[in-house]
Amino acid sequence: MKPYLTGLGIALALAFAPFFLGGYETNVLMMMLFFIILAVGLDLVAGYCGQFSFATGAFYGLGAYTAAILNRDMGSPIWLNLPAGALVAGLFGLLLGIPALRLKGHFLAIVTIAFQTIVYLTISQWTSFTGGQVGLSLANPAPLNLGFVTIEMGSLRSYYWLTLAVSVICLLVAWRLAHSRIGSEWIAIRDDETLAAAVGIDTTRGKLSAFVASAALAGVAGVLTAHALRGVTPDDYTIWISATVVAMMVLGGRGTFIGPILGAVFLVLVPELLGKFAEYKMLIYGVLLVLAITLMPEGVIGRLRKRAAR
Amino acid sequence: MTLLSRRQILAAMGATVAAPAIVRAQSGEPLKIGGMLPFSGPASIEGRQIVQGLQFAVAEWNEKGGVLGRKIELVLEDDESNSTKGVTAVRRLIEREKVPFIIGTYASAVAIAASKVAAEYKIPMLSGGSTGAGATDQNTAGDPWFFRSWPDSNAQGEDTAKAIVEKFKKTKVSIIHDNTNYGVTLAEQVTRVVNGVGGQIVSKDGFNAGEQDFSSMLTRLRSLRPEAVYIGGWAGDGANILRQAAEIGLRAQFVGSGSMLSDDFIKLAGPASEGFAVASLFEASTPNPVGKAFAERWRKKHDFDANTFSSLGYDSTNIAIEALRRVGKSDGLEIQKMLKSGMKDFPIVQGPAGATAAFDEKGSVKFPNFIAVIKDGKRRLDI
Amino acid sequence: MDLFLQYVANGVVTGSTYVLVAVGLTLIFGILGVVNFAHGEFYMIGGYVGILAITVLKLPVFAAIAVVLLAAAVIGLLAEAILHKPLKSHDATNSIISSFGLAVALQNAALVVMGPQPQRLNLDVSKIPILASIPTDFGPVFLPQQRTLIPLTMVILIGVLYVILKYTWTGRSLRAMAQHPTVARLCGVRIQSVAVVTFMVGAGLAGIAGMLMSSIFFVYPVVGNMIALKAFTVVILGGMGNVAGAAVAGLLLGITESLTSAYLANGMRDIVGFVIVILMLLFRPQGLFGKVAERS
Repeated sequence: MKPYLTGLGIALALAFAPFFLGGYETNVLMMMLFFIILAVGLDLVAGYCGQFSFATGAFYGLGAYTAAILNRDMGSPIWLNLPAGALVAGLFGLLLGIPALRLKGHFLAIVTIAFQTIVYLTISQWTSFTGGQVGLSLANPAPLNLGFVTIEMGSLRSYYWLTLAVSVICLLVAWRLAHSRIGSEWIAIRDDETLAAAVGIDTTRGKLSAFVASAALAGVAGVLTAHALRGVTPDDYTIWISATVVAMMVLGGRGTFIGPILGAVFLVLVPELLGKFAEYKMLIYGVLLVLAITLMPEGVIGRLRKRAAR
Repeated sequence: MTLLSRRQILAAMGATVAAPAIVRAQSGEPLKIGGMLPFSGPASIEGRQIVQGLQFAVAEWNEKGGVLGRKIELVLEDDESNSTKGVTAVRRLIEREKVPFIIGTYASAVAIAASKVAAEYKIPMLSGGSTGAGATDQNTAGDPWFFRSWPDSNAQGEDTAKAIVEKFKKTKVSIIHDNTNYGVTLAEQVTRVVNGVGGQIVSKDGFNAGEQDFSSMLTRLRSLRPEAVYIGGWAGDGANILRQAAEIGLRAQFVGSGSMLSDDFIKLAGPASEGFAVASLFEASTPNPVGKAFAERWRKKHDFDANTFSSLGYDSTNIAIEALRRVGKSDGLEIQKMLKSGMKDFPIVQGPAGATAAFDEKGSVKFPNFIAVIKDGKRRLDI
Repeated sequence: MDLFLQYVANGVVTGSTYVLVAVGLTLIFGILGVVNFAHGEFYMIGGYVGILAITVLKLPVFAAIAVVLLAAAVIGLLAEAILHKPLKSHDATNSIISSFGLAVALQNAALVVMGPQPQRLNLDVSKIPILASIPTDFGPVFLPQQRTLIPLTMVILIGVLYVILKYTWTGRSLRAMAQHPTVARLCGVRIQSVAVVTFMVGAGLAGIAGMLMSSIFFVYPVVGNMIALKAFTVVILGGMGNVAGAAVAGLLLGITESLTSAYLANGMRDIVGFVIVILMLLFRPQGLFGKVAERS
């Protein structure tokens, strides 16, 4: 019960945060939530199931574009776009999962890079459908009419609360998945695929489900981002996003659930705090990544757990 | 710079010299203004040039004693050409730094996302290089919050296309463009206008920004014998295309987008740049006396000439500070009102003689682009 | 038909760069199991050092090549110390992430030091004694000397590498490492020196490619990104760790891209390689020439 209580406490604190913070800080928190969903999603496939992926940015973008295109063509509201984005990204996740059945490690990493690049080039060049480099605009989220009260969704605060609620749901789902039978299967596949198959685990189903779950979460983050920015452009969904999310997961600790969350918090905050050193920001970021992986390859949480175990 | 020359400049600028009653009360605290540009990522090339224009304008104002009796402090944010970052940066500038306006940014997509947020805070933004028509078109007519003190990409494309067909008398045109927003919109506009004024498009090719090898595409183009080739995209790629075209002997009138008018471009393209024509908003040799004076002041402080990037950064900043001065207080809403209608007499350094910050109801300024032609390694406007 | 040959020749020129970059990459992978995402940065550094050597230090071309090789060797040494030495006992994905961090750091260091604007190596081959005699017309095909120099250098360097791998003790230890590290160590191969040599050779080949290409194209801080992705494509197509495979696949990719640009659409050229890679990995993951056993 303890993790749930801690989580609940943090979620409550976050829910009250906008009353004490300005719009800028709220915006940073919201950005942090997007990346937490992305990092935890990646952790499912890469951390728990051991299937390395550089394609988070592509799924993130697929979710965002699903929202933008549905909104453009059918005027669909965010409530419909959220499941739709998860579905579309999840389907593409299934597609990318297929090569993962045959490939491992570096090969898989490179296929995911190729996939990421193809998705990027497609959304940036299929101008008639995706708006090309210009991207697409989204209408303001419609007010939510609950019958007795109407909630204005256009403001930053209400949108932040929506993001927070969706993030909590995503994290609960991810937590349940990681700590259920399917999660144990993922870990078994990661640790020893041959052994996992030998004891009767359906490795095909295991790997595909990890890819789908990871992609669907990224898709949800994409829908949230598209509505938050009220628009989509291809350059927000590049391989750099994928790489950043990978870094978040690794710094925090793969397969630890909490680790990627901390990684996301850290890597969203650092550039904001480094604001004055804009020129050196990426340089510092690169060096930090090298140092972290060299000195602490299992990530912060991984290191702490190891120490606790000793 | 001496006091005398500053007065002369002010006179040349036609600015209302009736000096404002300078309030020297709380002069200790500097007045912060916001600048948001890409300082990392691929567009940092442009971002770092544009920011010099911002800094130059602020330095000039501060030499005159600042504005409203306070020194001006330019607070810069890096948007990395990324909308999420841009939106956050705008909020930071407005909430943390309390800036009354923001100069930025370069990427049109980021400008659109960011200016929507700035408008909610009633803080106007003035383009820091974004030329895409979409950025001003999304403004509500009559109530713009994103201002651009030069014509949009459609106007640039139109002026360029007309120059190709009417000035250079070339009717068979090939188009090469990168797949960025900038390259694509320009290529579309040039295509439309060339067809409209009696020219003919013989080929149209896209490329991904940063692509290196154009030899096969250009070889194919050579076999189509175009009379003119239009290139829309970043300067580095344009220079690359020019050199490789010269290498394989593709001879035509080459015409490029506004991004290709830095001196670096001529240096990179080398002798292949002779005869190259480019749409331009500003040249150090501009016939605009205000621009000319700016170019001379710039040259005194820098060891290189001002270019379009420095001039547009300067204009956006200068206009905004002047609007702030005229309003008399650091208030975004008041400044926006002033920008909307009160700046029509304020001369700008870009464009032909007499160009002013006369923003239209969509927040754009209209004046014809120059067509500069490179001769003996220098851009010239008189050819 | 004449144009077709010209397109193929253009493809061979760019393909030769892919070969130079990809061979180093495949060696580093095949021998050390390191996936080096910073390999494109070796190319970038080669370009910048070449420009500095020729335009600032005013060195003659062959001396400049030596300087580039030296600089690349130093960078290779550093890269080994960062990417391989401390990580070899860990998960292979660690080297992916670490090399990615190194790539970001090197690119941004270049951005700070050299500035963002592209730069070019002014190298007039027609004024250099031996090289001036390279012909420019080959039947219907026209290639400026700067361009012809690239496949020539590629053939020479890859030839030398092949001889070294095949006939020298160093070469044999490299190959032994690639086949079975444990046995190699038992037979007296010093892993650490093999690793350093591998990184130096890889960086040297990419550095030379970067220098040569900067005389016909430009160098800028992020120039290595696309080259590295192309080189990865080539490495997969040729079979990971397979030097001869990388050589053939590099030329093939260059030619395919050139023909795509000529006959399909120029915008497609970057996508085509990735599509081939995905298909290849789905249907023939060992690469065009790889052995099935190399999978995984």
